[in-house]
Amino acid sequence: MLENIRYFIRRALRNMRQWPVLCTAAILTMAVALATMATFLLVVMNVQGLANSWSEEVQVVAYFKAPPTRNQLSSLIHQVEVLPDVQKAIYISKAEAFKRFGTRLGDDAGLLEGVSRDLLPASLEIKLKAGSHNREGVARIVAELNKDSRFDDLRFGQEWLERFENFVDLLRFVGLVLGSFFLLAALFIVSNTIKLTLYTRRDELEIMALVGATKRFIQIPFLLEGALQGFAGGLLSLGFLVISFKLFLQKSLQSFWLTPVGFEPVFLNGNQQLILVLCGVLLGLLGSLVSLRKFVRL
Amino acid sequence: MIQLFNVTKSYGKENVALREMTVHIEKGEFTYVTGPSGAGKTTFLSMLYGASKPTRGQILVNGTNITRMASGQIPYLRRKIGVVFQDFKLLGSRTVYENVAFALEAQGKKRYEVSKKVYKALKEVGLEHRLQRKPMELSGGEQQRIAIARALVVEPLILLADEPSGNLDQEVTLEIMELFKRANARGTTVLLATHDHSLYKRFPKRVLGLEGGRLVMDHKP
Repeated sequence: MLENIRYFIRRALRNMRQWPVLCTAAILTMAVALATMATFLLVVMNVQGLANSWSEEVQVVAYFKAPPTRNQLSSLIHQVEVLPDVQKAIYISKAEAFKRFGTRLGDDAGLLEGVSRDLLPASLEIKLKAGSHNREGVARIVAELNKDSRFDDLRFGQEWLERFENFVDLLRFVGLVLGSFFLLAALFIVSNTIKLTLYTRRDELEIMALVGATKRFIQIPFLLEGALQGFAGGLLSLGFLVISFKLFLQKSLQSFWLTPVGFEPVFLNGNQQLILVLCGVLLGLLGSLVSLRKFVRL
Repeated sequence: MIQLFNVTKSYGKENVALREMTVHIEKGEFTYVTGPSGAGKTTFLSMLYGASKPTRGQILVNGTNITRMASGQIPYLRRKIGVVFQDFKLLGSRTVYENVAFALEAQGKKRYEVSKKVYKALKEVGLEHRLQRKPMELSGGEQQRIAIARALVVEPLILLADEPSGNLDQEVTLEIMELFKRANARGTTVLLATHDHSLYKRFPKRVLGLEGGRLVMDHKP
């Protein structure tokens, strides 16, 4: 058994040495296929991260019919803050609202001269917990607040929220379709490259069968070779990804016009990097297996 | 050792390569299979090592019916049979040693056993001094001797040779025949397909004559 394993490894390595051009072609094909997919994944991950940071802006504003007294206010804030979707409720008094409006008008703040400071209603700005920045979370809070007659009007950017969620859904869908397409293309290209390398070595396969090698004995070194090439391709694609992330992706994501200040583009974490290399191994194995079925006939 | 009962092999309706062939070959026999091109010699030999199956009839090799043998069993049949071809079928990228060792490695033999047997087989065919050369660096006769060493290294019960001297000159052919005779003397059953009449006139043995897929002659000297 041990002798066999040693023999298979020796043969896989020897085959790779004996056919350097074919071996390099297979490794590079897998590296390019994996790097393309991983780059795409990285972009999708970061755009989703961006979308999440935008969604943090989602909040509910509840306007009071009449400003609450100090006593009423603290119990009301407590009442709102215990709701499961609420992170924090901030009271904006009439004066505060007027001041903010003035700030927002900037150079045109003079227009407010002579206008009563009581003009704008007092309100409660309700920040949502992580995971509740969606239509369902907002709807639950709105349903609770609607029960309270002290509120006159609720604003929560319904239209914006719907459009934003549709955009995120579209992003996921496009990601899935393009990702599947890239995966299929990668499998197709890799299995054809391996088929080509096996075609060049069909004499070897024929002679092995002729001298009484079993199907498994013929296939294992080739599968091992495919796995080793996939491993090398995976490592190469990871290296390529690190370089392209540092040189291009990071900068272009940070300079994207919709990117909020302080957004840090993320790279694949340790597990994801391991998965990428394992995907290479799997790609090499599958590519070899599919092609071998065609060539190894006893 | 080899028994055929009414064996027919056809490719489609029109193309019949072998018709109703019945023949028995004893253990240790040396037999020529002759006939013009297309007579069915290669088809006959290929069925014996499981490369093709008969359309009708039964074939027994060393007491085992190989007619409906499962594909997983064919490698074990081939381990008892050495095959030599006109075009040698050697691996150009491997050395002489590796080409011969290949047959033993394919059977899962241990490394020390492989090197001992390969050296012995190459010495037998007179190529022990060419171990590390590549086949393409050698003459046609030497390449055929590597192929014979590869066939004999596994100590087969049966040696099948399909036009082994087809590409070789007379002098080399005689050397090759000497190797076959020696293997036969050690007890290996030899079947040699050839259309070279001079060969069996010079080394008279049993001759099976094929024509249009039929066995038309079975001559024992």
